[in-house]
Amino acid sequence: MNLPDRFTLFHLSVAVGAVVGCLLLVLGASPASQARTGQGQLERDLARRARVEFLLDAYAPVQQLADQGRVQQALMKLEEIGRRYPGEAYGLLLKGRLLAEAGAADQAIAAYAAAVRGNPDFVEDGAPLAARDEIEQLVNRHLEPLRRRLADGATGISARRTMEQLRYLQSRLAGGCE
Amino acid sequence: MSLRFVSLFLILVSLLAFGCSTPEPDGPVYKIGYMNCNSESETLQRFTPLTRYLEKEVGARFELIPVDTQDFEERFVREKFAFAHTNSLIYLVLHEDHKARLLATEKRGQFGARTAGAVIARKGSGIRNLADLKGKRMLFGPQLAPSGFLAQYDLLLQNGIDPETDLALYGIPHGSYKHEKVIYGVYFGAWDVAAAPALDLELMIRDGRISADDFNVIAQSEIFPYCTFSAAADVDPGLAERFRRALLELTPETTVEIDGEQVRVLRSTWVDGYEALTDSDYDILRAMARRANMPPYQKF
Repeated sequence: MNLPDRFTLFHLSVAVGAVVGCLLLVLGASPASQARTGQGQLERDLARRARVEFLLDAYAPVQQLADQGRVQQALMKLEEIGRRYPGEAYGLLLKGRLLAEAGAADQAIAAYAAAVRGNPDFVEDGAPLAARDEIEQLVNRHLEPLRRRLADGATGISARRTMEQLRYLQSRLAGGCE
Repeated sequence: MSLRFVSLFLILVSLLAFGCSTPEPDGPVYKIGYMNCNSESETLQRFTPLTRYLEKEVGARFELIPVDTQDFEERFVREKFAFAHTNSLIYLVLHEDHKARLLATEKRGQFGARTAGAVIARKGSGIRNLADLKGKRMLFGPQLAPSGFLAQYDLLLQNGIDPETDLALYGIPHGSYKHEKVIYGVYFGAWDVAAAPALDLELMIRDGRISADDFNVIAQSEIFPYCTFSAAADVDPGLAERFRRALLELTPETTVEIDGEQVRVLRSTWVDGYEALTDSDYDILRAMARRANMPPYQKF
């Protein structure tokens, strides 16, 4: 019996590889594997839920002070929590709310924009910490007056940045690909 | 042949030298009065880079003059300052009494170009609202500080408490860093309540020097404009506009050379930027000053 040449060996090894690949695919789609995938989804859902619960708990003192109308004290508490969790999107969302209530519109817009950049779920209907309505109201209230101010030409870089942030929020609210 | 090379070399060198050097602005020297926060040396250190930046952008020569708050109005007139950097209350004085024009408002802290005043008590002191202040000892910031004196004085008056008669005693700390001394005065129990600027509370918490849980904010004012640049009435409008535009276009990345080093202008000045507010944005402060019988509306 003659030994197969290199050309035949190459084709044989490709055929064996294909068979093994098919077997792996079939096994991968087995109920056991599907259970494993489902387990992964469960883990992700649990982690997501735990994150939401944790954030609500960690920022509860800020929310309580805000509910009592103690805006300055709430901002102080938020600043302190921010030392532990710098840049946390939920903290930025709360900051946006508090600053809007205090009348610091430009800073509120900046905080909301940073929050949505950190967690786009805030503009999704039905998401656990969604704030779509208040962000929509903020954009509707400030976009046109700021556009007029910019058209007057009496503003500087701060106003242009605020406009960029409002446009960003407007685009996130609209959703879809751009 | 060699003469042609030499002359070509000289032309090249002179072109390079001209290209590398920044032409110094000429013409008259305009004075900018900067209100001292804590000390003259601090003011010089903070505002030298900004003043150099303004010279470069505006194309005029400026002299930086540190000025104590109480002397500001007098020196503004006597020494013919062209521009002034002051707190928002002193801006009102310069505007109402000397027709100074608003140029730009400084941004610092979470309220941006605005700030606020708070009345604070030590947590656990039993002082929970303004009604509890009667008969208590209160520490205020400097008398011409909008967020360290005026806002809180007005808050008390609006809530039926006359600081002159209803408090057991009120005081103002000596020396520099008055706003921090006020906060520490309550923290260490030397005083019952204090008039604390929202910005100082924010900065001290951010630095970890105090905790939000140490204090009760028993009252807070509305927000009103923060420190302000203004121009004297007789300054050329074109020059004032260039000055204003240079301030409004400052970004955190803007640098200027100081003693051979590139220095970030805003960072050195402890400022986040400048904003174009209108004079009517200061009406809220005007109302406070009128109610509290403070300059420029003081009546005897």
